[in-house]
Amino acid sequence: MEERKTAPGSLDSQQQESLKANQGERANDDTSTGTFPVVRRKPPHKTSHQLKVKALTALLVGLLCALLGFGYVVQVRNTKSSYEGLSEEELVRILDETSTQVDKLEERKSQLNQQLSSIKSSADKQQEAARIAKQNSESSDILAGHIPAVGKGIIVHIDEDDDRIDAATMFTLIEELRNAGSEVISLNEVRVVTSTYVKDLKQGLECDGQKLSSPYEIRAIGDPEALQNAVQIAGGVGSRIKVQFHATVSVEQANDVRIDQIRKPQHYQYAQTVE
Amino acid sequence: MAAILGLIIGVIAGLFLQPDIPVALQPYLPIMVVAALDALLGAARSYFERSFSDRVFVVSFFSNVITATLLVFLGNQLGVGSQLSTAVIVVLGIRIFSNVSALRRFIFKG
Repeated sequence: MEERKTAPGSLDSQQQESLKANQGERANDDTSTGTFPVVRRKPPHKTSHQLKVKALTALLVGLLCALLGFGYVVQVRNTKSSYEGLSEEELVRILDETSTQVDKLEERKSQLNQQLSSIKSSADKQQEAARIAKQNSESSDILAGHIPAVGKGIIVHIDEDDDRIDAATMFTLIEELRNAGSEVISLNEVRVVTSTYVKDLKQGLECDGQKLSSPYEIRAIGDPEALQNAVQIAGGVGSRIKVQFHATVSVEQANDVRIDQIRKPQHYQYAQTVE
Repeated sequence: MAAILGLIIGVIAGLFLQPDIPVALQPYLPIMVVAALDALLGAARSYFERSFSDRVFVVSFFSNVITATLLVFLGNQLGVGSQLSTAVIVVLGIRIFSNVSALRRFIFKG
């Protein structure tokens, strides 16, 4: 380290300063005189050049230590979230854990997706069911006679002469209209529904508890042609009424046959809907 | 005195600047820090032994850091980077321990 080598024993103060402490000690060991020269830690006075060197080396040492501290802090901050320092096994374990977690999350996601789609489909189904129920209720209301109806159809006028038309014939007429596909039928003031009956009375007919008498007006909503044919077909119920009871039967087609007669909703005592 | 001051300044600078280390340097920085720490402790020991030399410290600092980095670099080139860095850390750790024990002997006269 030291370029200058000086002979032991000839240590003047200048050289002693320039020598480092270890060499000073070594020099002391080599002294033959047996006297220990005083090894001063700090020389009594310094030249300006040496002061400069001292300051420079102190600065250098400080700089290096600063570098060390800087590097240390940077590294400490850097390793906080990195997997740099982990061993292979740890990395494999972390990878396993992560992939297991990913699998679990995927599973959960697919479960939730399933749930979502099932909920969606059930909502759709519910909507569909509500729609169908509405449709059904409308059509069944028409069928059960709960609401007025209007549409294409025919109006049959029957005028009795002398002979009274019996209930069976009238019922046959209704049945014929039904067979011909009529959707809504009314007989005078009575809305004809599934439970409608026609009964003979001494004077006229009784239909669903209402007395009816000539002239009869039967309205039916359906295919007008089919309905007219059903009434007026040769040998059918129309000609029978004419021939048998000498009544006049007129059938008129109309585009807006309006049936305002309604039947009060029936309360079912025994029958219940099947879920 | 300058050493302690420098350490403090370095730590503060690191805390406040928060620099991003280049990726190429990342595996070497911990080794560098440990090597520099070893150099610092060796310097402290020689200071207590009254044989401290600025020049020796500077040279040993750089030689320590560069040697450790080169060793790890070599290990990375040969595919045994982690093992070799472990070896460097172990050797530096042993040196640090011996230096610390020497320091302790000086401080407690044990």
